[in-house]
Order: sequence, then C-alpha cells, then structure tokens
Amino acid sequence: MHELGVASEILDVALSEADRHAAKKVTSIRLRVGVLRSIESENLSFLFEHLARGTAAEGAFLEIVEEPVRIECEACGISEARSFTFECPRCKRPGVSVTGGDSLSILSLDVDS
Amino acid sequence: MGAPLPYEVRSLGYPRRRKNGGHDRCGILTRMGQGGNVRIDVERSILRSADEAAAAIRALLAERKIYALNLISSPGSGKTTLIEALLDRFDGKGGVAVVEGDIETEIDAERIRKHGVQVRQINTRSTCHIQPSRLLSVLREMDLSETRLLLVENVGNLVCPAEVPLGEDARVVLLSVTEGDEKPLKYPLVFKTSDLLVITKTDLLPYVTFDVDRVRRAARAANPAVEIFEVSATTGEGMSPLLDRIEVLRATKD
Repeated sequence: MHELGVASEILDVALSEADRHAAKKVTSIRLRVGVLRSIESENLSFLFEHLARGTAAEGAFLEIVEEPVRIECEACGISEARSFTFECPRCKRPGVSVTGGDSLSILSLDVDS
Repeated sequence: MGAPLPYEVRSLGYPRRRKNGGHDRCGILTRMGQGGNVRIDVERSILRSADEAAAAIRALLAERKIYALNLISSPGSGKTTLIEALLDRFDGKGGVAVVEGDIETEIDAERIRKHGVQVRQINTRSTCHIQPSRLLSVLREMDLSETRLLLVENVGNLVCPAEVPLGEDARVVLLSVTEGDEKPLKYPLVFKTSDLLVITKTDLLPYVTFDVDRVRRAARAANPAVEIFEVSATTGEGMSPLLDRIEVLRATKD
C-alpha cells in the first residue's frame, strides 16, 4: 500500500497548485513514474480517486508517463529496459550500472479556470 | 463493457534530442488531457515534503556529529540482532541511540532497552515505512547530547523504506540466506540505494539453496559501490569485519 502516501502527496500538490492558479477543477494530472518505484498504476488510481472525492480534483484523470530503467554499459553506452536487469540489453554483458528509472514526480496539471 | 479507466500508462522513454535540437522532455505530449483549458507545469518531486524532513534530520545529525544508519530488510532478517551486536561493540565507546520502527508493539524497543541505551519505538500503524517527519519529531524529543551513533531500524519491508530517505549517513540492507538469492532482482531499488549489504544467517547456507555469488553480482550491478558482508550472528563468523567497518564509518563524523 505504499501508493497511499504517493496518492495523498499528488492530491496535496494538485489542490495547492489549483488553488494558487484560482482554478475551479483539476481535470488531468501528468506524472512521471520510474519503473524502479514499483508503483502499481491501478492501485494508485484507485487510492487517488478515493482521496480526491469531494475535492476540486475529484474525477481527475491520471496520465502516468512510465520512465524505463536506464542502463549504462561501458561498451554500448546508454540503453533502456522495461525492468531491472543486470546485463546490457544490447551486448548481454553483465556488470552494467543502473543510472535511472527511479523518478517519481508530478509534471503538470490540466485545470478548468 | 466496463467504464473507461480513470488512468492511462504510457511508456515514453528518456528525454531524447530532437532532430531540430529541441528537447522532448520525457516525450511529454503537447495535447491537453481530457477536458481542462489551462495547463500548469509543476515538475516537482512527489517526495518533496519527505525530502524536506530528511534534510532537517541530516542538519540535526550534522550539528551534533551523530552518524546515522538506516537498517532495512524483510521482517526477520536480523536487523534487531545486528543492533544488539553493535550495542555490545560500542559499549562504553560513546553513546548509541536506537529508533525502532514497527507497525505495532514495543517488543523491539523493550529488547533493546535491556542493553541500557536510549531507545524510542515508532509504531507506524498502517504505514509500511518510517516517515522522515515522524523520525524528526522523535529525534527532537530525545536527549542526543552524548549520542555519536544513531541506529534506525526501519519497518520490515524491502519496498517502501527504500523510497524514503531518512537523512541517514549510510543505508544498510540485510538479506538472510533463507529468503532466497533472487531478492536483488525482485526488489532492485533497495539494493540500488544501499551502501552496505549484509548477508545474514550464513550458518544456514548448508541447508538452503542460496547462491552468494549471484547475490553479490546482482547487488554490484545495482550499486557498484556497495560494500558486502557475510555474517552469522549465531556463530559470530564475519561479524568483526562488519562491526569494524561501521566503527570506521562512525568515526568519519567525529
């Protein structure tokens, strides 16, 4: 249930930003979520929907931009993968380093002013 | 047919350079979402309030020259046992304070209290990790005037504690050999963000299928700088190098 804290933070940010821009309603929220965060989209959406009930963000659509794992291989450079891996997706060599895929941020909101 | 989903997941990859030199930030679409007539750019970490509390903890620790370890593992991997070993090692060498995190009960705090050190229990109830804001308020209530080493035992869980830095100087992940050697593959973030990996209960290796080298490889792939220790609290094997290392790390903050 670690999505609960994330959903609650998303709602807080959305409501305070909407308020700051004197918006009446938040219609859509765009998020960037790294796959290393192990966020279950369905669970996040369910919790957000529940928390947002009765607020200006009720019924807001969550647009989740999934960030892949970023892998750096000495030979092949940077690759991306859908999940954590210990070998280069291109040359299959082990010992690559994982340098990204843990983002968890709110990119933008669409609101009715 | 069901109702349309209230969310959409798109995998758009990393920022790429456009041919015209413009930056396509994470492939963000320029169209509006459903409804809405104004777009507000926010670009802020969802963990910001937690990050702020962690920064306040870091400042408090720096001011008091306290070295802090955040201990993370599955339930029953040996976090409390490692803390007890550290308490024996640091007995009389400067104060150790302990913060225990559990969903419920004071069992761990009572176990630690017998060693005569300052200990606080955080019961997180429905939350699966220690929140930095909670740790900060506990630390503010404690008398840390003599404390040189702070041991924070997180809630037994390999997922959520990994996402929430507590302002610690080093993060320690424990993995017991009975849990299986695929854990770094299944829970990559905690292995990516930990400074020390302690493989525990090695006296049980003859009885379980656990490839230590596989874990070492996977952990190194997740974090090339990780320091790996193999210990058995039961036989004492491997404990000295780990305790020595923690003593050296603690001294870096003197």
